[in-house]
Amino acid sequence: MKNLLTALFTILLMATAANAAKAQIKVVTTLPDLASITKQIGGEKVDVFSIAKGYQNPHFVDPKPSFIVKLSRADMFVTVGLDLEIGWAPSLLESSRNSDIQKGSPGYVDASEGISLLQVPSTVSREEGDIHAYGNPHYWLDPLRGKQIAKNIHDHLVAVSSENEAVFNKNLQAFNEKIDRKMEEWTRKMAPYKGTAIIAYHNEWVYFEKRFGLNIVAFLEPKPGIPPTPSQLGKVIQTIRSEDISVLINSPYFSSKSPEVVARNTDTEIVKLSTMTGGYEEIKTYFDLFDYNINRLVQAFKNQ
Amino acid sequence: MIIFGLFSLSAIAQQDSTDADSVLLEQIRQEMQDGSEDEPDTGTQTAASANIRNPEISAIGDFRSLYTSDGGRNWDAFVQGVELNLSSAIDPYATAEFYPVFEGEGGELNAKIEEAYVQTLSLPFNLQLKAGKFRQAFGRINTVHRHALPVIDVPVAYENFFGEALIDQGVSLSWLIPNPDFYQELIVEATRGSDESPLFAFDEEEDTPQFLAHLKNFWDLSDNATLQLGFSGAFGKNENTLNSKVGGIDITYKWSPIRRNTYESFEWQTELYFSNVETSPGNDINSWGMYSWAQYQLSKRWFVTGLYSYSENPNLRDFDEQAISATFGWYATEFQKLEIGPKISTQNGFGDQTFSGLARWVFVIGSHGAHQY
Repeated sequence: MKNLLTALFTILLMATAANAAKAQIKVVTTLPDLASITKQIGGEKVDVFSIAKGYQNPHFVDPKPSFIVKLSRADMFVTVGLDLEIGWAPSLLESSRNSDIQKGSPGYVDASEGISLLQVPSTVSREEGDIHAYGNPHYWLDPLRGKQIAKNIHDHLVAVSSENEAVFNKNLQAFNEKIDRKMEEWTRKMAPYKGTAIIAYHNEWVYFEKRFGLNIVAFLEPKPGIPPTPSQLGKVIQTIRSEDISVLINSPYFSSKSPEVVARNTDTEIVKLSTMTGGYEEIKTYFDLFDYNINRLVQAFKNQ
Repeated sequence: MIIFGLFSLSAIAQQDSTDADSVLLEQIRQEMQDGSEDEPDTGTQTAASANIRNPEISAIGDFRSLYTSDGGRNWDAFVQGVELNLSSAIDPYATAEFYPVFEGEGGELNAKIEEAYVQTLSLPFNLQLKAGKFRQAFGRINTVHRHALPVIDVPVAYENFFGEALIDQGVSLSWLIPNPDFYQELIVEATRGSDESPLFAFDEEEDTPQFLAHLKNFWDLSDNATLQLGFSGAFGKNENTLNSKVGGIDITYKWSPIRRNTYESFEWQTELYFSNVETSPGNDINSWGMYSWAQYQLSKRWFVTGLYSYSENPNLRDFDEQAISATFGWYATEFQKLEIGPKISTQNGFGDQTFSGLARWVFVIGSHGAHQY
C-alpha cells in the first residue's frame, strides 16, 4: 500500500512537472546571446533554444531541417536582424508553417528595433565586400545596447504572455541593474587602455570598440567577408610596426593561420575573444561574454 | 538609446561615491552623448521602406565553356542561362516566388518562366500549400537549380529520367509530420503533366493529372553530422498517353564541423531511380539509374567533387550509359564561383568513349538568397 501511494505520488509530481514544462513559453533565437538575454528576462517562464552555437560564424549557419521542427513548435522567435542571418533564418522561418512567429506577429522579435546603429552605409555595393545595407549587425557586443535588446524581448514576452508581465518586469529591471553594475566594473577595467590601437580579423567589433574606447586600426580581411590576402597581411604588419601595436583579436570561428603569420612577423599577441555567449566553455551567459573578453584584453595589455 | 543610457547612468550614479568613480561616470556620459559615435540610422528606415515596395530581386549568370572529343566541332563557349529571381511576402499569409530564365540553346537565349508559385505561411496542422509552376519534390537534385549544384554536369541518370528537370504546374501540399524523434516531411503533388520530362506528358484527351509523393526523413547524428533519407514516387501519362511510373530513393550524409564550417565540410549524396514506362498497350520498359557524388571542402574557397552515374534509358530498351567526372570549384565569395572538370562517358548504344572538359563561371547580383540544406 505504501509503495502504491509512493508510486501515485511520483506520477502526480511528474504530471505536475510536465504541465509546468508545457506552460513554458517556447522561444527559439538565432544567436546564443539572444537566448541568454531571453532566459534572464523570461526566467522560469521560458524554454529557450538557440540555433547558432557561440563558436559558430553567425553569418554561415546550416539551415538544418531539424531547426524547422523547433520553429514549428515555438511561441516566439528572436532574431538579430539587419540581414545578419539572411542566408539561413528566412528560409527556416518560411518552412516553419508557424504563424505565431512570422514577421509582424507578437512572437516575432527583431532585436534590432530601436537600436542605434553604426556603420550604416550611404550607398551599398558588393565591391565593398560583404557589407550590411542596414548597418553593422554586431550590436549585441555593446552591453548598453544589450539593454535595448532586453527591452525588445521583454515587450514581446509581455505580448505573448501578459499574465506573466510582473515577472518579466522584475527580471528586466534586474537585468538592467546588473548591466549598470557590470558596466561600471568593465569600464573601470578598460579605462587605462582607452584609445589603445589593436588589430582585428573581421569587422565585427565596432560596438564593443566604441563602448570600451578601443581603436581598431586595421582588419586582416581586406574587405568584410574576403579572406586575408598576403598583400593585406603585409599592410597590417607595416601598420603594426609603425603604430607599435601589440594586440590582435580573433574569434573562435576564424582561421588562426593569418593571425599567426602576422604574430610571427611582429611582437603582436593573438588574443582570442568571443563574439557570442558560448564561444568558450566558461562563457555561459551574456554577462560572462564581457567578463571573458575584457579580462582577456586587460591581461594582454598588461603583458606588454 | 540615450534615454536608456541616462537611465543606466542614474542607476550607476546612486552607487558612485569616490572621485575616481565620478570621473568614470563622466567618461561614460561623454561616450554615450558623443554624437560622433552613433551615426544616424535613417539609412535603415530608407532601406526598410524601399523593401516594402519592392520584392527581393537577384540575377544569376551561368557562363560555360566546353571541350568534347565527340562530333565535328569540339569546342564551344556559351551562356548556359540567366536566371532572375523575384520573391516577397504577399501578405501575412503567403509568399510568392518568380524565376524568369533565359536559357541558352544553340547560341540563343530563350526566355521562359521556370518557376512561378505562391506558398502559404500559416496553414493549420503543419501544412504548407504551394500552387503554380514549380520544381517538383522528387529526390534531391530536382529541387535545386543547376547553378547551385556542386557539379558542373548533371548526372546522366538524372538527365535520362528527368531531362532538364521535373517541373510542372499544379499544387503541392507539404505536411510536417509531428514526429517527436526526428524530422519527417511528406509532400504530395498533383500537376497537369510535365511536358518537358522524358517520362511524362500532358494528356490532352483524358483528365489524368500527374501525381507525386515524397517522404523526407532527417536526422542530426551530431552537431557536426546529419543524415537524410528520402523516398519519392510519381505516376502519370507519358507521350504515348499510356502510364509512366517512377520511384526514387535518396540518401545524403553531411559533415561540417560547426567551429570551422566555412573552412571544412564533406557531403555524400546518392540517388537511385526506377521506372516503368508503357510504350504501347501490353508493352513496357523497366529501367533504373543511379548517381553518387562526394564533395570535400579543402579550404575556405576550394572544393572538389567526384561524381559517378550509371543509367538505363526509361524509353529505350538495351541502352545504358555511364559517366565519371570531377569538379574543382573555387568560390571567390558566396556570390561567385569558378568550376572546371573533366568527364568521361560511355554509351553502349553509340560505342566510343567520350571525353569532355567543362568550365563554368556562376555569379549572382542582387539580394542574398537563402542557402539550401
